[in-house]
Amino acid sequence: MARRNVLAGLVLLAISIGYGLTTAALPDRSLPNTPGPAFFPWLITIGLLVLSVALVTRGLIDARAATDEAPGYRVPTRGWLALGSFILYLVMLPYLGFVLASVPFFAVLMWLYGERNKMIVAVASIVIPVVIFYLFTEGFQILLPRGPRP
Amino acid sequence: MTGDVLQGFLQAIQPSSLAATAIGSLLGIVVGMIPGMTISSGIIIILPLTFVLDPNISIALLLGLYVGGMLGGSFSAILLNIPGTPSAAATALDGHPLVARGEAGRALGIAVLASFAGGLFSALCLFLIAPKLADIALGFRAPDLFSLVFLGLTIICSFAARSWIKGLMSAVIGLAIVSIGQDPVMGTARFAFDNPSLLSGIHFLTALIGLFAIPQLVENLGVGKSVAGAPAPAIRFRNLLPAMPDLRRIRLPIGIGSVIGTFLGILPGAGGPIAAFISYDYTKKTVQEPAEFGKGAVEGIAAPESANNAVTGGALIPMMTLGIPGDPVTAILIGALLVHGLAPGPLLFIERADFAYGIIFSFFWANIFNLIIALAGLRLLVKVVAAPRAILMPAIAILCVVGSYALRNSLFDVYVMFCFGLLGLAMKWLDIPVVPLLLALVLGRQLEENLRIALTGSQGDISVFFTSPFSALFLSVSVVSVVWSITSARRARLKTPAS
Repeated sequence: MARRNVLAGLVLLAISIGYGLTTAALPDRSLPNTPGPAFFPWLITIGLLVLSVALVTRGLIDARAATDEAPGYRVPTRGWLALGSFILYLVMLPYLGFVLASVPFFAVLMWLYGERNKMIVAVASIVIPVVIFYLFTEGFQILLPRGPRP
Repeated sequence: MTGDVLQGFLQAIQPSSLAATAIGSLLGIVVGMIPGMTISSGIIIILPLTFVLDPNISIALLLGLYVGGMLGGSFSAILLNIPGTPSAAATALDGHPLVARGEAGRALGIAVLASFAGGLFSALCLFLIAPKLADIALGFRAPDLFSLVFLGLTIICSFAARSWIKGLMSAVIGLAIVSIGQDPVMGTARFAFDNPSLLSGIHFLTALIGLFAIPQLVENLGVGKSVAGAPAPAIRFRNLLPAMPDLRRIRLPIGIGSVIGTFLGILPGAGGPIAAFISYDYTKKTVQEPAEFGKGAVEGIAAPESANNAVTGGALIPMMTLGIPGDPVTAILIGALLVHGLAPGPLLFIERADFAYGIIFSFFWANIFNLIIALAGLRLLVKVVAAPRAILMPAIAILCVVGSYALRNSLFDVYVMFCFGLLGLAMKWLDIPVVPLLLALVLGRQLEENLRIALTGSQGDISVFFTSPFSALFLSVSVVSVVWSITSARRARLKTPAS
């Protein structure tokens, strides 16, 4: 965890510098002696900077003392596959519409969660997205992406 | 006021509200029972519905789910020794040993009764305390409100984080995200980068769906196809209703749990797990046979169970009267109210007192339905622990998309939701707590708005935060909270090598 803390601290330090630079570019529209739109972001910048440095320092101290040896959280391999298929799903959603994009995504997720019965995968991955689509569009009048129309 | 109470009562007993409460309670118990699912997952499932339902029906549904989820979490803790919710961890200590002795019905019956008693006690406190607190809060000015929100954030950080640096970092990241969009006082565009979708800011419900659901979906991939990895255990139910000797034994633990749970529920961030363990520990010190604890003592089930359900009513007190959420679920309740144009806070009891009392009565009914559904349907409900994860999780993934899209009919929100999911995973990887970030998203705008209004009123003089008695009190408690958090973390670090 010590190495992760150092890495996180450095990334957050870079983000806080970027945030601070963007804050500096904000327009100054305040009356004298009153806080303007950049006031609160400046406080956040200071907070981010101080805490990033504290996180890096903590990580370095822990690494030197070798006190923090607990194994951290790791995303399982199937988790990466699920995230990848999620990204693909989101990319295809506006082009294919909710139902057409959801069916293969649902099937892939079912397979990743360990379902190997092809019939169950086929039925569930078609029925559930279709039911959800009609429930929300017809039942609750929430217009989900419909995709291309003839 | 009597008229508003009556109106609220009538609103809560409308057939649609009662049905919503019962459905929410059933769904909550089911969701809570399934290890790997949380109350937040259940809320994500029904969140899109709440946008189109009447506010009183939406809130009744969510309250039912909140209360039911707490009890459901205890069922899997007792039956499988896997707490369905973090609050149920203490219940497993004595609940599961009773199941191992073949007394599942006894353990579950005590859990149901204790939950009901705790919930009912907190409902009564909510009814009595909330209007009084709202009256006091009406007198708060901008400096007081700023200090109150600040206190909420510091208490949350101190409780939610193992490392105070990471807790505060999480909250500050949340504040940075809140600053995207138009500023709350002058409407100046900030960090929008000429993107019209960013001008209106990031909706915290979108963030919440991503932060909670995506890491959970990924985490569940590390487990097998069925939820528990095994079929539902064979359970013999001799009788669910506790016998008279048990009732005598659990009276005091229920009292202890109810009081501790309600009180800790009022404190933002304390939450169910802390209340359950404190009640368990305190009850252990007060009973005549503490050695029985951990081996199936009924008192060890009753105390944490009453406490974690009492927390729900306690958490509604600051949510309704001050607009301060105590946990992620109350944060979602705030979001659900805001979607309908109802802002929780002291004015809710002035402008929509009937609605405020309606919430209180719906909470009361949620506890009643919890008792009825749990006792009547327990034999069927226990089969839920073997529900197929391979269908549930993909369905939740799709509902995440529906929920975030339905909020503003925008695919941009869906992409934002997914980005927050990745952020949630990164925070998990770094062991940074997510709850402070979420609550900063809820409270950030109020924090900035009140800070700037207060400083504008005082011409930039910061002494205004110390001259107002309420503000000074809130800031003092904030300092105590942060100092306590730092010293307790240091003490824990010093203890670890020795043990």
